Amino acid sequence: MEIYLPIAEMSVHWLIILAMGGAVGFLSGMFGVGGGFLLTPLLIFYGVPSEVAVATTASHITASSMAGALAHWKRRAVDFTMAGVLLCGGLVGTSFGVWLLKLLREAGQSELVVSGGYVILLGTVGGLMLKESLEAVRATRSGNPLPSRPAQHHNWIHGLPLKMRFRQSRLYISVIPPLALGFAVGILSAIMGVGGGFILVPAMIYLLRMPTGVVMGTSFVQILCVTAATTVLQAASNYNVDILLAAVLILGGVVGAQFGVRIGAQLRGEQLRLLLAILVLAVGARLLIDLVVTPADIFSVTVEGQ
Amino acid sequence: MRATLLALALLLLPGAAGAEDLVAGLSQDQIQITSNYTGSDLVVFGAIEQPPDIEEDTPPGQRDVVVVVRGPAATMDVRRKDRIAGIWINNREVTLEGMPAYYYVASTRPLDKIAPPYMLARYQIGFDHVKPQSTSTRKAARAEEFRQAVVRERARAGLFSEAPDGVEFLGYSLFRVHVPVPAGAPRGQYTAEVYLFRDGVVMSAQSTPLFVDQTGLERNLFNFAHNEPVGYGLAAVLMAVLLGYLSSLLFRQQT
Repeated sequence: MEIYLPIAEMSVHWLIILAMGGAVGFLSGMFGVGGGFLLTPLLIFYGVPSEVAVATTASHITASSMAGALAHWKRRAVDFTMAGVLLCGGLVGTSFGVWLLKLLREAGQSELVVSGGYVILLGTVGGLMLKESLEAVRATRSGNPLPSRPAQHHNWIHGLPLKMRFRQSRLYISVIPPLALGFAVGILSAIMGVGGGFILVPAMIYLLRMPTGVVMGTSFVQILCVTAATTVLQAASNYNVDILLAAVLILGGVVGAQFGVRIGAQLRGEQLRLLLAILVLAVGARLLIDLVVTPADIFSVTVEGQ
Repeated sequence: MRATLLALALLLLPGAAGAEDLVAGLSQDQIQITSNYTGSDLVVFGAIEQPPDIEEDTPPGQRDVVVVVRGPAATMDVRRKDRIAGIWINNREVTLEGMPAYYYVASTRPLDKIAPPYMLARYQIGFDHVKPQSTSTRKAARAEEFRQAVVRERARAGLFSEAPDGVEFLGYSLFRVHVPVPAGAPRGQYTAEVYLFRDGVVMSAQSTPLFVDQTGLERNLFNFAHNEPVGYGLAAVLMAVLLGYLSSLLFRQQT
């Protein structure tokens, strides 16, 4: 059955959208990632306007991080003080990002910035992951696993002012790095429609040196709140959240994630990361090709106030 | 504004004595586009009333019927991509005001055989003659380039179409036209115009308004998103949070 998406203004078959949500949910369950960075490009490939894809994916991530946040909350594996500080930065970041997207749309450049941003993001993240996982795979083959990096007790972060105590993480650090981190991820959430877990989690572990036990839960809570705020802000200022599209995507994603988690548990970590790296690079390459290849019609038309 | 001008123009037509007269009507004067709408037909029908002094055996090739359906006027931002540093980037922008958002023309023969270009241009008949009221550029060639881009884009979306043999004659004087109205047809006031040409000159014309409205769940959601944007955003978040919560309940039961 065809459904008409009221905001994206296109007729789609609901099964295709459901399958798309399912596939992304499966991958995110398998790899333990949010999947926003795959869903947004996928929607763009399908013909959904990039801005609508970005804003609608934010609400999809709200749903998928809700389940994760609840699970970690029950295990008390959330540092709410840290989440609160990250969120302060995140709310400022997402407001700034939504405003920026509005300016870009009015200048007719939102499409370019979203696609270009994804090419850079996916290229960098995918490249780093590929390098890291190839090294890990090689090390396992040769029989001597990589030595884990020695934990540094002090880095430049400890020299910053405005220190604050984070009980749950047993940290006493400046609030500037978490605020800046929250801000950066908030902008990404508004402009790219990603939760930002792939930046938050490594940054929390390596930069803030939070104990790994609370990292996932804290990032889920932060992503839940920031994407919820992003959804409301996008709807309020850019009218680009498609609630019907979101509903079908979420339904698919919820089911897909369950299967993904099961399959993921049977695969080895470094192989999983290698697969994910290849996938991420492939999506980035496709977006790059779309930017470089001569379009079918070099003109585009937007009807005002329809 | 243009609708009024056009109506005036139609009133001032040469009402030559003994001219054939035109009567036309529409199958519906209200079209409701709903959610599972895949497009439908509007039927424009009519008859050419024959004054008694015209002989029955006038060859039908000399007279032509043209039916034009115009959608509501819209303001369109048209952008041209240019290759900058290897990447296609939206570069020049021209705004066209007062372009019809929908346009359909059906005729008995190809338009260029019916009347000379200046005549078609006067009534804005045919893709070459659908013009905006104003453009944001002073260069005529550029305005034309961007206008043609709109025609191409609208034609791809099925919102502009030409049917050179779309007027179907049932007998000598009765005719009908099936006008396709696709799902993406914008809402607003449309006009259906029927022209009777003889030897390249408009002998008679008639204009009838009709309304296209979108209803159903999708339209209500669209209105909600635009009238109550904050409430709509909160509703989207509430839905996402609830579905996420439900999935975690479901997941716990399964494992």
